[in-house]
Amino acid sequence: MSGTITGVQHGSSHAGRVKGAIPTPREGAPPRPTARRRRRLAGMTTADDPTRRRERRREHWQRRRGLERRLHDGAALRISSLALRLGLLDAPREQVDALQGEVASALDELRAVAAGIYPPLLHEAGLGPALLEAVRASGADVALDVTDERCGAAAEGAAYFALVDVLAAGSGPLAVTARREGSTLVVRIDGADPALACVLDDEAAPLGGTVDTDSSLIVARFPCG
Amino acid sequence: MRVALAEDGALFRQGLVMLLEAAGHEVVACEPGGDELLRALAGQPVDVAVLDIRMPPEPDGGLVTAERLRASHPDTGLLFLSHYAESHYLVRILEIGTERIGYRLKEKVGSVDVLSDTLTRIAEGEIVIEPVLARRLVEKPRNDRANVVAALSERERDVLKLMAEGRANGAIAGELFVSGKAVEKHIASIFDKFGLHADATESNRRVLAVLTYLRSQREG
Repeated sequence: MSGTITGVQHGSSHAGRVKGAIPTPREGAPPRPTARRRRRLAGMTTADDPTRRRERRREHWQRRRGLERRLHDGAALRISSLALRLGLLDAPREQVDALQGEVASALDELRAVAAGIYPPLLHEAGLGPALLEAVRASGADVALDVTDERCGAAAEGAAYFALVDVLAAGSGPLAVTARREGSTLVVRIDGADPALACVLDDEAAPLGGTVDTDSSLIVARFPCG
Repeated sequence: MRVALAEDGALFRQGLVMLLEAAGHEVVACEPGGDELLRALAGQPVDVAVLDIRMPPEPDGGLVTAERLRASHPDTGLLFLSHYAESHYLVRILEIGTERIGYRLKEKVGSVDVLSDTLTRIAEGEIVIEPVLARRLVEKPRNDRANVVAALSERERDVLKLMAEGRANGAIAGELFVSGKAVEKHIASIFDKFGLHADATESNRRVLAVLTYLRSQREG
């Protein structure tokens, strides 16, 4: 994955179109740092300063959102333009169709990578619509009740990817609610295996959030901002 | 046909202009954002406006621009082109209008024939939806949850899928190798199962059928 991201980073000549400052992806932004990596990163700076750590984690999510935007504005746009130009070629129809089919497959793969970095719908429409698409795609039996209030790239990204992992674990019917309470995004999962609390903790803790369980109820708190 | 377009990616914009001109259409305006397009179209109506969804004004300028365009020029067709085929956007698009409107993937309009067919169907009043999106919506009902689509027969589901793509009855009949009468019967049955009765026009009921499906998913 890091190779793909680095390639896009260098290959894009459309950086000027990207809105807002996008930090350089220092370490290729893998989706979920291992405990070992977290310890190593923590050792690199003011060892156990939790404020610094949360700040770094927030930057991590901003960076991921920026990378998705770059894929969209750079590589994806170039490849879509290529599809149009192929349509203007004076060549047999079957040949053009075959080439355009390849181009469309490349874009499908790019969309899948982008969705794994930071789903564009999460950025543009928020946690509710993005989770709904994820639930639809997984076919899981989940009742969603998600706030329309926005909670920032970090809280939304962390909650989204944690919930996608919970869905992938494929337990029984779930009821998921997400509410903004003050400056905290509170996610309640009813019906999940309590062992899945660690999946939420992996995402919430680095942001300074907490996770509590009570039999089949998991409550995760993600600080917004 | 007189066409205007707004897209913030210069490369794609140029490619689209070339393709539109090769198809024999007149490109009246070609702008990098929605606000510029609205200014350009103030005094000169077009048959269809082609809009990128994700462009200025951020974050989804295409939708905001379309709402304004529909209010000021209700006869202008709207074609949304996007890198993503999302049901979330389809619902928002159908809330803007249920006639003379379309939503397609950028890479899927890359031939003179497909682009012209899409524009013509929109200008004639149809809804054109990217087939992959229409298919995904109808073929992936949620597993264990009772929903309205589960009440449909397999054949009715095929018909709904083609309706969601904006096909007219004749085209649906041709695609499924059945008579026009049979298609009408299936559609009447879908309307009935969805509780859509004869007080709406035929065209509105078709859209409502698709929307009913989408909302059933949204509300769980």
